[in-house]
Amino acid sequence: MPWSDIAGPYRRAAALGGYTLAAVLAGSEIIILALALNPNVNADYRAYYIDRTTTCLNRDATGSYTLGQTVSFRPDGAKQAAGIRVCGWAGPVADGTHSLGETSRLRVEIPPLRNGLTATLQMAAVIRPPQITQSVVISVNGIRVHEVMLSGKEPKTVSFVIAQAALAEAKTLEIAFDYLDGIPPSPAASNIYKRSIKLLSFRLDTIERARRSDRLADRVSDPQKPIGRARED
Amino acid sequence: MAVEDVARPNAGDRFTAVAVAAVPLLFVVSGLAIRYAAFASVSTELGFAAYARALCRWDCAWYVGISEHGYERFPIPNHSNIGRWGFFPFYPMLVTAIRAVFPFPTILVATITSIACSYAACLVAWPLLEKNVRAYVLYCAFLLSGPFSFHFTTFLTEPLFVLLTSCVFLALKRSTYLAAGVSSALLSATRLVGVLVVFATVIQMSREHRGQGGSIISFPRWLLGRPDLLVAIFISPAGLFAYILFLYLTVGDGFAFLHVQRAFGRVAGNPLVFLWDGLSAVPTTGWLPTAPQWSAFAALAGLTLSAVLAARRQYGAALFCAASIILPLITNLASMVRYVIGLAPLMMLVAVLLSASKLTCLAALALFLGACYFMTVAWIGGYLALV
Repeated sequence: MPWSDIAGPYRRAAALGGYTLAAVLAGSEIIILALALNPNVNADYRAYYIDRTTTCLNRDATGSYTLGQTVSFRPDGAKQAAGIRVCGWAGPVADGTHSLGETSRLRVEIPPLRNGLTATLQMAAVIRPPQITQSVVISVNGIRVHEVMLSGKEPKTVSFVIAQAALAEAKTLEIAFDYLDGIPPSPAASNIYKRSIKLLSFRLDTIERARRSDRLADRVSDPQKPIGRARED
Repeated sequence: MAVEDVARPNAGDRFTAVAVAAVPLLFVVSGLAIRYAAFASVSTELGFAAYARALCRWDCAWYVGISEHGYERFPIPNHSNIGRWGFFPFYPMLVTAIRAVFPFPTILVATITSIACSYAACLVAWPLLEKNVRAYVLYCAFLLSGPFSFHFTTFLTEPLFVLLTSCVFLALKRSTYLAAGVSSALLSATRLVGVLVVFATVIQMSREHRGQGGSIISFPRWLLGRPDLLVAIFISPAGLFAYILFLYLTVGDGFAFLHVQRAFGRVAGNPLVFLWDGLSAVPTTGWLPTAPQWSAFAALAGLTLSAVLAARRQYGAALFCAASIILPLITNLASMVRYVIGLAPLMMLVAVLLSASKLTCLAALALFLGACYFMTVAWIGGYLALV
């Protein structure tokens, strides 16, 4: 029954009540809309969900790690690798842990260090002809430290020095991999599904230890080889 | 004589009422039997609980999660980037409330609730189908024993969405706008596209105004003079706004239900391109259309039926259905079959069209019942077009 059909003295009161209710509803909806248009979220949420400036949703994940230890990113090392993986990874499967999206991150706890570190990663490119290479920019704690071009199906060992400046007095070490040539599964697919690399293993050494290992290797293979440089085998 | 005249219509009304209640009940039973037979043919485990679990596929697991654990805050536990925020709250809330009274496993409670909602949707459809018996039988068969009946009998929002949509259109048919507004509010808390039904309400109000001799230009003024209509309009999206407020208070982002779509890989694009991509995804082997093709066919069929509704001067229903297809189509074709068959005005139109003759009606009925078995097997097997 329309309220206009209400007879007598109640009609005016019903109309007034109706207008009040309509105004309250409309006002509430405007206020809620205004709140929704000004989200109260942290930078990680905003970057991933709202601004879409990253495909890697940063999370409060820091893995425990002992320097000199090699962590497998194949199924045999899944348990330890899971703590290190922050975002942008899928798997592990038999050929490693696959990158997902345009950026991936790893994060580990590190002890106080006097000097830098040497990182050694075993990686393979995801290729789909005609694209047969993958460019990867590697940053540590936000500082760009290395760039590598992966090609072919075979895994490649990538080694680089992380200078003390990148570590400062940080208690954690975060390695970010930015992929310049990610392959989407289809032209219309979201960039969160791009594939670039397969990570097989990860290792960190103090520079002193890496130098000792290099010297040992140099004595065996090439006495002229300089020590402590980035190495890609 | 006079007593007989009074008694006869009463007896006739009683028979009609019993028949209207019995027809969907019959299809509840036949649908359960057919779907259970399909389940038993592919499962080693038997029993109603196992059946209910087997039919709980795809989004069903999300609704079970919401019903049992509610919505996550941010950051999402277990280092996930996919929150449950994309799934609207009213149906899981209803199941939670029922489970508080009947403490059985969630999927069992939800399955029975879904069947009850679909049954109720059939009853509400009777006056909407102008008491067309053949169309009513076909519509009941489609919802409860049809090829997509698993969508209407497991823990998905379709059963409640169809019921509430029917309630809105019945209220509009009877010009009870407040009832339409309250039903719309619940509909907007069930699925995002539910909020679009407010346009059907405004169109119906406009038609009523014009029926009283008013013009389009004088409609806003007439509307402002009717506080009951204003309340009906402003209460219609209340469910959606309540959910937005909840998300703002818990996650900090009122539009989290939209923003989380990124984690599902949904990307906004041109609906025509998505349609073309779907149609051109031809099968590499065999002749059966691929899942994207089925989805594209469903979208095109839905839009065509919306145009037929418009041609039959059901402008509100046509606009609601077309918008409810186009809105999800902006992201991609995913779940398109389910979205289209969940639009009650379209399925009622199909029932009316197929009931034009006794022959087509019987053929459609046989097709519905037969397809129910095979489609249920496909659903349990995870066939992508049915997602």
